[in-house]
Amino acid sequence: MSGHTTLPEHERELLHKAVRLQWVSLFVMALVVTSVGLVAGQSQAMRTAFAEDALALLPPIVFLVGVWRTGKSRDPDHPYGHHRAIGAGHLVAAVTLLVLGASLVWNGASGLVKGEHPPIGVFSFAGVTVWAGWLMIVVMAIVMVPPMILGRLKMKLARPLHDKVLSADADMNKADWTTGAATIAGVTGIGFGLWWADSVAAILVSLSILWDGWKNIREAVRDLLDARASEIDSAEPHPLVDKLRDEADRTDWVDRATVRVRDMGHVFHSEVMVVPRRGVDPTVDQVEELRRRCQELDWKTDDTVVVVMHHLPKELVPPDQSSTSGTNT
Amino acid sequence: MGTRTWLALVAALLVLLPGCTEPDFPRDPEGTLLRAMGGELRVGVSENPPHTEVADDGSVSGEEVEIIQGWADSIGAEVAWSDGAESVLMERLKLGELDIVIGGLASDSPWTTHAALTRPYAEVNGPDGKPSKLVIAVLMGENALQSSLERFLISEGLEP
Repeated sequence: MSGHTTLPEHERELLHKAVRLQWVSLFVMALVVTSVGLVAGQSQAMRTAFAEDALALLPPIVFLVGVWRTGKSRDPDHPYGHHRAIGAGHLVAAVTLLVLGASLVWNGASGLVKGEHPPIGVFSFAGVTVWAGWLMIVVMAIVMVPPMILGRLKMKLARPLHDKVLSADADMNKADWTTGAATIAGVTGIGFGLWWADSVAAILVSLSILWDGWKNIREAVRDLLDARASEIDSAEPHPLVDKLRDEADRTDWVDRATVRVRDMGHVFHSEVMVVPRRGVDPTVDQVEELRRRCQELDWKTDDTVVVVMHHLPKELVPPDQSSTSGTNT
Repeated sequence: MGTRTWLALVAALLVLLPGCTEPDFPRDPEGTLLRAMGGELRVGVSENPPHTEVADDGSVSGEEVEIIQGWADSIGAEVAWSDGAESVLMERLKLGELDIVIGGLASDSPWTTHAALTRPYAEVNGPDGKPSKLVIAVLMGENALQSSLERFLISEGLEP
């Protein structure tokens, strides 16, 4: 089997890298969550920060579960394979982002409306007494570094792997470190007697987190509804969609062709519909040959079927082609 | 911003840390500590012997009264005492009519909505026999005031 559910060598290596990265991510973020939990103490605000940090553990978990699931090969019970696990994971990660953003906006706004003045006292250790705000700033500056690095590494892998969970998780890491930066700005502001600084800073960064969450949810739902396959962070057709149609159009016995391509997560499921030239009845070998060329276009188009028909389904023909197909029928 | 920039920032903060203290940093949003230094410190006392006691003539005494008096002396503040029920004093603290409330408050008391509770200064056995940590209530978010009091508690060796 040319591998309907397994990836080619290079991509498999990238995926291994991503899996390793996510285990590191889980470990580091668990460490971060624990340390924030330890300095949180009784403070309600810090407890919220703790809960928000804990949310960041969810995307790596759904990624690892998804990868485990996609590793299974297709069978009669799962004729399309298990790649949709990536799509489901993308939705989970996207909702997590939105929840995080909403929680930040809510806490920031209610703090402002109620006029809450956050109390921060002193911290004493081994005979040295400093304002606890300094400690928070230092802890935040340190815990910001891992998500900054991890997020960038994940984004680099997400595109070649066409893994939207990974890209949503990179957005999550970005949300993490920007919230950390907001906390630093907020606590510094509080130190200067600006009680509203923390809330305002939180609301400012939460807007970009909300946007990322919304964008990812829209994209995840699009993919789950089998919308035309697109690149990460884009609604434009994936370049492979056109390439598949061109491949069919270039075939000498093909008169007209259209394709529908859906994103299963990592890989696509593509149907190439072709109308043969008048008077030509393509042989099974000819059809198989076209299918093989389509499969070989890219590792994502491995699961491609070719359907030969008299008329292309009208709704599936893009408007720019409908005129030519209209004259020939 | 690069990772290296951040590490430099962290290092800079570590160097700057001990340099700043109240009342300049942290600063009070309402400037309470600055006002109390060389002025008046408004303290509410809710009776809870032996931490606080209120005599018939309104004069106050007890461990916590002594702590506050010592701190007020150290920052050059004149204390204006007022006594009352804990809930009334807490409401007045929330409204900003008082700066401090004492009365043998426990660190797990539910007054965190009305006041900032200091770090615990002692541990005693509560009415249920379980250990309970004693704290002092400070005007919410007046971080210079709170830090100054907490610094005084630590310097006096008042730690559980």
